[in-house]
Amino acid sequence: MKSASPLPVVFAAFFRAGLRAKRTRVFILLALVPLLLTLLVRVVDPKESGDFFTKVMLSLYFQLLVPVLALFFGSSIVNDELDGKTLVYLTTVPVRRRAVLLGKYLAALLLAALLVAGGFLLCFLVAAFGRLGEAAAWGELGVFLGAALLALFCYSALFTALGAFMKKSILAGIFFVFGWESVVQYFPGVTQKFTVIHWIKSLLPIPPGEGGFLIFQLQPSPPLPSVLVPLAAGALFLWLAVLIFERKEYILSDNA
Amino acid sequence: MSTVLRAEKLSKWYGNILGISDINLEVAGGITGLLGPNGAGKSTFLKIAAGQLKPKIGRLTVFGEPVWGNPGLFRRVGFCPEHDSAYNEMSGGAFILLLARLHGFAGAEATERTDKALAAVGLLESRGRAIKAYSFGMRQRLRLASAILHEPEMLLLDEPLRGVDPLWRIRIMQLIKDYGRQGRTVIVSSHILSEIEAMTSEIVLIHQGKIFAKGDIHSIRGLIDSHPHQVSIRCPQPRRLAGQLVAGEFVSGIEFAADGGGLTVRTDQRDRFFSALMPLAAQAGNEITEITSPDDNLQAVFDYLIGK
Repeated sequence: MKSASPLPVVFAAFFRAGLRAKRTRVFILLALVPLLLTLLVRVVDPKESGDFFTKVMLSLYFQLLVPVLALFFGSSIVNDELDGKTLVYLTTVPVRRRAVLLGKYLAALLLAALLVAGGFLLCFLVAAFGRLGEAAAWGELGVFLGAALLALFCYSALFTALGAFMKKSILAGIFFVFGWESVVQYFPGVTQKFTVIHWIKSLLPIPPGEGGFLIFQLQPSPPLPSVLVPLAAGALFLWLAVLIFERKEYILSDNA
Repeated sequence: MSTVLRAEKLSKWYGNILGISDINLEVAGGITGLLGPNGAGKSTFLKIAAGQLKPKIGRLTVFGEPVWGNPGLFRRVGFCPEHDSAYNEMSGGAFILLLARLHGFAGAEATERTDKALAAVGLLESRGRAIKAYSFGMRQRLRLASAILHEPEMLLLDEPLRGVDPLWRIRIMQLIKDYGRQGRTVIVSSHILSEIEAMTSEIVLIHQGKIFAKGDIHSIRGLIDSHPHQVSIRCPQPRRLAGQLVAGEFVSGIEFAADGGGLTVRTDQRDRFFSALMPLAAQAGNEITEITSPDDNLQAVFDYLIGK
């Protein structure tokens, strides 16, 4: 018997399932909203469209779309199995639970990354139409995409852990995204460093002050810690998710 | 025959709700029927045996190994859960193929295993259809396919005949009996005595979380037989079937379903009743789609037995 490695099997199956899911279709539409806004600005005032992309689109993506995508994809990794009572199929096969969780996490991360990257690229093509030949413009896009992937990695890991820990994790996640992340990032001093968004925004290629209140309230952190902190936090959240998922007893039925 | 499953002082409760209490049980090869009304603790016991729940007190071993946190054991164990749950967007074939691959089968072998399991439950033709388009009975059979695809040494089946049409009920019972004959261990739960009885004479009666009786079914058969039974039947022409049934002396009452699609029969002689029903079920025009014993009936049987 030639054995198939379980992690790629889980990843491939749930990536395919994710592509067909209603949730993904809804998020494709959501990801098109910034594109429509960029198109509108491009038509109304072509000179403003580059700035518009930087200032407003990034706020939409980094403060809304990226965390919301990560929230719904991340928290669904375990919650969907509990709601649909399908977890039993993945836990009565000779596979460690960590392989199941990590396979599903990677599938969710890739789906979210494709949605964000696709939307990003289309927005960029519209906004920077006149300067597509400039290497600097593409370099900026690369940094934006890298920062978005880092944010997705960290947020998705956090919401995966939350989903593994509690059944209705989406509510806690909404509070985190729209409460903690949205408010605490504007607190003075070191408090803002307790948000993921602070580190992500610190990586974005926008001169301080130029982006205005929506982009930066205070001075960004240096680039190296801004990469390392979300990476380390994401790895920690993922480790926690695995730990919880391997040890927690999930009761799929109310009746005995 | 050596012990395959051993439960020692096994207890489990959910908050204030008792699941099972102080269960001591040894199961060897062959088929063991776990019989009890809904809420008796059958599913809790099987979920502990399938590593889905942790015991609060006591321990349970399968092939001498603890089950919780021991995924390697599922190379030898198959579990068919009671929930009507599935990845509805997937096709039946994709679902079983995924499980085959997670069982470690790759390439052509995974496909062969998938086809064999689906064929065993009559779903090979429907393998490409999305599970959400399956009927309840088909989904139940799909769950059974998920349990048998790796041909385990031990099968844990939680109400595997629930919602299955009469024809497939007989075929699945045959499949389970074949497993037992091959020397494998099968623990099958039901709240319908006749189902268990058709598969095995070795039963465990479970009631209010405790094992109430264990052993050969014939020892308690007389007691159960003397208790009045209700059998609900779904069919397109209930009045026609009722007319055929009342010809026998074993029917003490008949009630028709309000929707006109079934009837409930009361009988004091269940064996004779089922003997008469089976040939009628095969007759053209009757087309029985479902036979159930209302749960309170079995509850009443247990109360009756406890009273004795």
